[in-house]
Amino acid sequence: MKVTVKLIGPLIYAAGFSEKELALSGPATAGELLARVNVGKNRPTIITCNGKAVSPLDVLVDGDRLVISPIYSGG
Amino acid sequence: MLGWTGHILRVNLTDKTHKKESFTEEFARTWVGGRGFAAKILYDELQPGVDALGPDNKLVVALGPISGIPAPNTGKTVVAAKSPLTGFYGDGNLGTRVTEQLRKAGYDALIVEGKAERPTMLYIEDDRVEFLPADEVWGKGTFATNDWIYGKYGKGVGVLNIGQAGENLARYAVIRSMEGRSGGRPGMGAVMGSKLLKAIVVKGTIPIPQADPQGMKAAGTGDLKEVHKMDKDSGWSRQGTTGVLAWCNEVAGLPVQNFRKTSHPEAWKIDGERLEKARVATYGCPTCTMRCGIAIHDKEGHESELDYENIGLLGSNLNVFDLDQVGSLNYLCDDYGLDTMSAGCTLSFYADAIEHGATTGDFRFGDAERAKELLRLAAHREGKLGDLLADGSLRMARAFGHGSEAYAMQVKGLEVAAYNCKFIPGMALAFGVSPIGAHHREAWIITFEINQTTRDSYGPEKAAKVIELQRIRGGLFEYIVSCRFPWIELGWSVDNYPKYFNLVTGLDWTLDDMWKVADRVYALIKLHYIREFPNATRKDDYPPAVWFDPGNADTEGPIANKYLEADKYDQLLQHYYDGRGYDDRGIPTKATLGKLGLSREAEAAAKYATLT
Repeated sequence: MKVTVKLIGPLIYAAGFSEKELALSGPATAGELLARVNVGKNRPTIITCNGKAVSPLDVLVDGDRLVISPIYSGG
Repeated sequence: MLGWTGHILRVNLTDKTHKKESFTEEFARTWVGGRGFAAKILYDELQPGVDALGPDNKLVVALGPISGIPAPNTGKTVVAAKSPLTGFYGDGNLGTRVTEQLRKAGYDALIVEGKAERPTMLYIEDDRVEFLPADEVWGKGTFATNDWIYGKYGKGVGVLNIGQAGENLARYAVIRSMEGRSGGRPGMGAVMGSKLLKAIVVKGTIPIPQADPQGMKAAGTGDLKEVHKMDKDSGWSRQGTTGVLAWCNEVAGLPVQNFRKTSHPEAWKIDGERLEKARVATYGCPTCTMRCGIAIHDKEGHESELDYENIGLLGSNLNVFDLDQVGSLNYLCDDYGLDTMSAGCTLSFYADAIEHGATTGDFRFGDAERAKELLRLAAHREGKLGDLLADGSLRMARAFGHGSEAYAMQVKGLEVAAYNCKFIPGMALAFGVSPIGAHHREAWIITFEINQTTRDSYGPEKAAKVIELQRIRGGLFEYIVSCRFPWIELGWSVDNYPKYFNLVTGLDWTLDDMWKVADRVYALIKLHYIREFPNATRKDDYPPAVWFDPGNADTEGPIANKYLEADKYDQLLQHYYDGRGYDDRGIPTKATLGKLGLSREAEAAAKYATLT
């Protein structure tokens, strides 16, 4: 199963990439994927999957696009 | 009365007089400063119906008790007047050395009245006020004007100035300062221009009175270091506000093609990552360690300082996905002194109106070169088209007819910021009930709405969140006059602000005291509105009609076939009114006004409009 991970703003510099496709050997949740991406410990984030907010417990499916962002507050 | 200087400088350009006036402790405690002072002064001193571009309008420059004192991001100044764009109270804030210099000159506010005989620069140094000729820079842009002033007085003075847009009374002309700061979206620059006031220069030498200067110094300087560390640890300022562009694109919230679309495959070309790589310089306001002004070289080689709103509205909203060209459009707005947001929405409306047959013309989405020419026409009011463009999207739509007002992206005449609320009901409400028109400053609830609520919800939790954010963002930060960024972007506790306030004033206020002032200021701005528009209805608090149009819904993506539902929006609006104690027109009731200590102001409003 393949999932695309897109990082937003400063998370790019923390994790060292902006966007990449990850191959997963089996089912995974959004939270498990977040744990695989080093965006900084205890940093509050908002996770969306295919444009919609998801919880860390939501299970991903092949082809999902996961976006991890800091919690912006809108300038 | 420590914390305040206790004085307002009143300047009359018509007869070249000035007067140092005192205000009472009651006035200070009731309105605190900034937006509070400005709203109260203009309410008391302007007659409803006054011509916003006539000599009887007044420009207020207002500060708060922590203004100019070293502490996180206290370098802001509020500028306010009756707006030539919206027809009622308008204001904005900008980072400027005027903040510290005006306070050190001994004033918490400046009121500018009348109209000069010739282009004028106002020079203020403590008790000395001079009315100097500015013919040499009349007709010049804000960068050249700023340099001219620096050449005369050095870079340490506080400067407010306008470009050609303000001189020519473009209704969304802003006031500019330093190398890249702008403020007063609802046409505060045009008010300066109408008075033939090209610039205000301020220098002060008197210490700002404080109850506990040592305590404030320790807290302020220590907290500046802490906020700086928080920023470095988080990496926020690597992209500043522009980081949100890529996220808006992912969640279908980006303005594209006059808000017709909510995302675009080429958005990455103008996002924060690309901007960070193209950065050639960084700018910030006084007493700021976050420095969100990221400058690049534009297409013509100028330094252009960009933020998210500029890129969203002059870039994706015009289908311009070339960062250098977005930089060029932004540079021109800054130099002419046009508000980048209203300029972007007005141009996008024009292109949309041509596409939909409401008018004819040669401007198309994506045509950056023609957009540059149109900005020049607007700033100079050149020809009929320049006049139309300078009047903003609402007046333009009314001139075109053919139902085009539905897609003029504005509320109460002020163009919306760069968040496409085609299906973000709470943020649409925030635009609708912003007290000065569709400004994002007052309440920004998108991440809360998408992360912590159901996006489809029109429930009371969203109205309550809008009120909560208005109290902090449009209330506290605007009347105490401090930049909200440490709080909103780094999580710097809002509890710090009563702490600073109490250190400088010697008072013992809590956040609850702060919220009451915030509610009072909002209610007074609503009285400004009803006094000018006695036939106001709740429809005035609706966002642009196109967001309610099923035919405008996205056909694919995360919000496919979704749109704002009018009856549900109306319920959401009612939740907001109920939470605020406003009537079904969105006007504070007499009971609410009484609780906020505004009975006298209510009596004044009742001469012009019905209060319930």
